[in-house]
Amino acid sequence: MSISKTDTTGAQTVAPATIASVRGLKVHFRSKAGRVHAVDGVDFDVRDGETLGLVGETGCGKSVTGRAFLRLLPVPPGILAGGSVMFRPQTSCGGCGGEGCAQCGGSGRRPTPCPTCRGQGCPDCQGTGAETLDLLKVSDKQMRGIRGDRIAMIFQDPGKALNPTLTIGEQLGEVFLQHRSVDLLEEAGIDSGESGFQAGALRRLAGQRDRRTDRMAAALWPPLRRRAQSVRQALDNRIAAALGETQIPNPRNIMRSYPHELSGGMRQRVMIAQALACDPDLIIADEPTTALDVTVQARILDLIGQLQAKRGSSVIYISHDLSVVRRICDRVAVMYAGRVVEIGETDQIFNDPRHPYTKGLLAAVPTTRTPRGKLAAIPGSVPELVDPKPSCRFADRCAQVHAACTASDPILSAVNPGHDVACFLEHPTSPKTEAAE
Amino acid sequence: MANTNIEGAPIRRRQDSALRVRLRRGGELLGLILSNPTTVFGLILIFGMLGMALFAPWLTQANTPDPYQMPRDWGALRMPPGTPGHPLGTTNTGGDVLYGVIWGSRTSLQLSIVVVGVTVVIGTAIGSIAGMVGGKVDEILMRIVDVFLSIPELIFALAIAAILGPSFTNIILSLCLVFWVKYARIMRAQIILVKQNDYVDAARVIGDSRLNIYFRDILPNAATPLVVQATLDMGAIVLIGATLSFIGLSESGIAEWGVLVSEGQAGIASGRWWASTFPGLMIFLWALAFNLLGDGLRDALDPRTESRR
Repeated sequence: MSISKTDTTGAQTVAPATIASVRGLKVHFRSKAGRVHAVDGVDFDVRDGETLGLVGETGCGKSVTGRAFLRLLPVPPGILAGGSVMFRPQTSCGGCGGEGCAQCGGSGRRPTPCPTCRGQGCPDCQGTGAETLDLLKVSDKQMRGIRGDRIAMIFQDPGKALNPTLTIGEQLGEVFLQHRSVDLLEEAGIDSGESGFQAGALRRLAGQRDRRTDRMAAALWPPLRRRAQSVRQALDNRIAAALGETQIPNPRNIMRSYPHELSGGMRQRVMIAQALACDPDLIIADEPTTALDVTVQARILDLIGQLQAKRGSSVIYISHDLSVVRRICDRVAVMYAGRVVEIGETDQIFNDPRHPYTKGLLAAVPTTRTPRGKLAAIPGSVPELVDPKPSCRFADRCAQVHAACTASDPILSAVNPGHDVACFLEHPTSPKTEAAE
Repeated sequence: MANTNIEGAPIRRRQDSALRVRLRRGGELLGLILSNPTTVFGLILIFGMLGMALFAPWLTQANTPDPYQMPRDWGALRMPPGTPGHPLGTTNTGGDVLYGVIWGSRTSLQLSIVVVGVTVVIGTAIGSIAGMVGGKVDEILMRIVDVFLSIPELIFALAIAAILGPSFTNIILSLCLVFWVKYARIMRAQIILVKQNDYVDAARVIGDSRLNIYFRDILPNAATPLVVQATLDMGAIVLIGATLSFIGLSESGIAEWGVLVSEGQAGIASGRWWASTFPGLMIFLWALAFNLLGDGLRDALDPRTESRR
């Protein structure tokens, strides 16, 4: 696996190749039967600007892994049992003001310099000189600052991910109020240096920290009312622009409708608008098209692709739909029973699968040439993840199982540059993982 | 920022439109409620009784100094309905039944609004804390609720009111102490249910604070069953309040339907039916009206109703 200890020397100009790296992530769930090892030592990197597909059967831990980035796990019964999710937030490139130049490699954004060493490279930032945060350890307040601003998420079912009691505009506005209140005030022509009740009230209104008195004053006191309205107008413009970007026709009208008045595709566009509102560095798309029609699906995928390319964001695309993953992902990580069993470039995974599970998964995809009534399937089912034994997780279902597979656990190691597999067939002498604690 | 949208067309001011959106939604809901004839009947009854309470001083000459005390006409005891000056007759002690019925609607309204208001607020607060915080806090709060729920409402309220001494204020107090548990239970269950929705996660994903999520995403979506229950209880509380008054836990001579029924019951055997019947009828109508409205609200607010889904 290409761990990016790259360019310690030229840290100030070169963007590190990875924006996030997951190491040894373990998420367990307490249950009556014992500890469920839902995610049990997941390793992968997300490169800057790429789309990484996370594929696997239901229950293999792909969604839990995705949610770990935002610390969206129900903490009891879930337990973060170990590992780290390192994330390097980016800021807009100072050299070109977000236009894209040689310094930032055309993406318009650069890593935030590490606050401890100011970009020189230190243990805190693993020598990259970029601010590196362990998302599992940052404070709740810091996490709230990251959520929606640096990392966003697109949910599976847009019908359930929108609050039925708020209009689209109200829900979308929240992102800006949370993360862009300074910009809103600026757009509304309010001086950041201004002090006094009016400015304070406006600041609170624009940051969603308004008190009853602020709201009353904004409703009754004409000068404040006028200015509060210009803030609201700035907010409205932003919402409409965000919606417009997802090719929603007539965003000003859509803003004022409730979720139940929109179609599934429209709702997913709203979700995408919300996710992309603050130009996040990383977008976690948790099966964003499963709840949609196939025709709408293609358009939504194109839309995500376009917007991602425009902004240079990275995407983690969680899916069980291999054809979609093949179409849109740069790299693919195949997960099985809480582990990444194979990771590589999309071509490598689809044309040269090495892990028996990946091979089985690919064979199970029906094509137009599959004879009627004959669908390939992998025998057996996903193992119980309660207190697993130190053996290859796929051993029970694997056709090529041998002695080593049941004795110990294979780890990911390279078969080709950029292509890692965790299987003893590829690495007869593969280094073994330390036995599970 | 110019006041134009992307296409360059001028935009309307948002406040007006936001209001219009609210009105549209309110109108939709109202249409749904009004499409059910029994609900409309309930509403008519409620408005009738509210009107009676509101216009009480114009409908009858208010008693001085305290209008909530029954006026006594010592020259006209036990008069049947139709007596000049006393269209619904008088009680054993010369109280005008019509006066009691009209001013009793004020007492009942006061009783149900205060009790429902206080208990809904307490119940929502406690249920929300239990549901939002969870864990040990939830456990402790819910065990307290269990203790309260293990005693039948009426008997519990009766005991408290008896300890506090006979007065109408004490009836209100005892009902407040008893009724909040039901709302706490409903609210907790709702919050736990609503919390699992994706849109709560979605709100967390955009970096919202817990308080903001609670007020914007959870509470509005959790409130429906509470609203329905509160409406039903508006009627039930008057019923229980009247029971307590009937037993004699409120001060005598007050213009309250339960007290009037109690005062008149001795005369029923000797044919003086009117002193108990008219206030009793009012209690019945009051409870019926709020039950009809509550049922209608339940249907209209049900998310499975097709026009809203």
